[in-house]
Amino acid sequence: MSEQSTGAVQADEPRPALKRKDNRAWWLVLPVVVSVAFTAVIPLMTVVNFSVQDVFSPVDRVFVGLEWFRSISRDPEVRAALVRTLLFSAQVLLLEIPLGVALAVVMPRRGLGVSVALVLVALPLLIPWNVVGTIWQIFARGDIGLGGWTINNVLGVNFNYTLDSTDAWITVLLMDVWHWTPLVALLAYAGLRSIPEPYFQAAQIDAASAWATFRHIQLPRLRGVLTIAVLLRFMDSFMIYTEPFVVTGGGPGNATSFLSILLSKIAVGQFDVGPAAAFSLLYFLLVQILCYVFFTVLTRSGR
Amino acid sequence: MVWTVPTALVFAGLVVLLAAMAVWGRISPPVARRGFLRIETDRGDRLYIGLISAAVVLAGWIAVTDLSMWLALGCALLVALVIGRWG
Repeated sequence: MSEQSTGAVQADEPRPALKRKDNRAWWLVLPVVVSVAFTAVIPLMTVVNFSVQDVFSPVDRVFVGLEWFRSISRDPEVRAALVRTLLFSAQVLLLEIPLGVALAVVMPRRGLGVSVALVLVALPLLIPWNVVGTIWQIFARGDIGLGGWTINNVLGVNFNYTLDSTDAWITVLLMDVWHWTPLVALLAYAGLRSIPEPYFQAAQIDAASAWATFRHIQLPRLRGVLTIAVLLRFMDSFMIYTEPFVVTGGGPGNATSFLSILLSKIAVGQFDVGPAAAFSLLYFLLVQILCYVFFTVLTRSGR
Repeated sequence: MVWTVPTALVFAGLVVLLAAMAVWGRISPPVARRGFLRIETDRGDRLYIGLISAAVVLAGWIAVTDLSMWLALGCALLVALVIGRWG
């Protein structure tokens, strides 16, 4: 809001004659305001209201102050889930961003290969989350799944994601990498394609190695798309729900019960709307901070 | 939406704050500058960062200590003020 007003003032200064503006175009924003109010602001207000009350029914409720925030923020199970989710997001970013960029660099740039590569890379993105979960649930099984069977019988490693928590973690992580690396690759590919040819010609004249070209031409030019990729992948992995819910259901034990899985267990499993509301608000605060930090670091570090 | 007085006050406060910032922006447009946060911010950015930091102080407080939340609120407002003024 404030940035817009600065921009408007700067644009106005050279031409004071145009100062009298017709602001009726602002009415065009109204549909967005109304829909955001309905889908985000009003539900958020409801959540805030739930978080300070013990709600038995719409008429039978008790004001409990900050009690739910206190109990949720000190709950060892919630804290463990938070650590787990942060670890998962960090691993997802560390794996998917370099892999996606590498994939984009080696993808063909002209000819028939372009379409083939694009379609092949984009395939996992077309599959709905719950189907991805189902695919991996069967794929990773030791008895009937190709992946699990191969690991157990060909590689000779005992792998069982329903019993071993490390195996379950690896399965969920691999599934996310398989599902979402293509998104990073496509974004990076688009970024690479938008670099003007003269940069590469100049690099060739200087006899720059492939690595130097990548490090000093391609990577700096990818800043914008990688910002979006990091933000999208971070938020998505921090909120991951469907895939681990389908594959492991949060188990074994609670090895893969991330924040969202624990939250939905409290909210719709136990129907404790008060604690669940406090939980969601703390979760929301975390997402806000991390996204703002990412966004600021990635967009302003160049200045 | 099962409103309570405290939550209604908080939201009313937020609305008043945003409206006041809009009016203030109209009267004297904000200027971006660099403070101890080391990033270029105008007063709207600092308000956002200040509010989020205040929320962090409150959440952190309730997670670790049983001291009065009024004290926490005081600290949170102080943090928001410092960020708004010198951030």
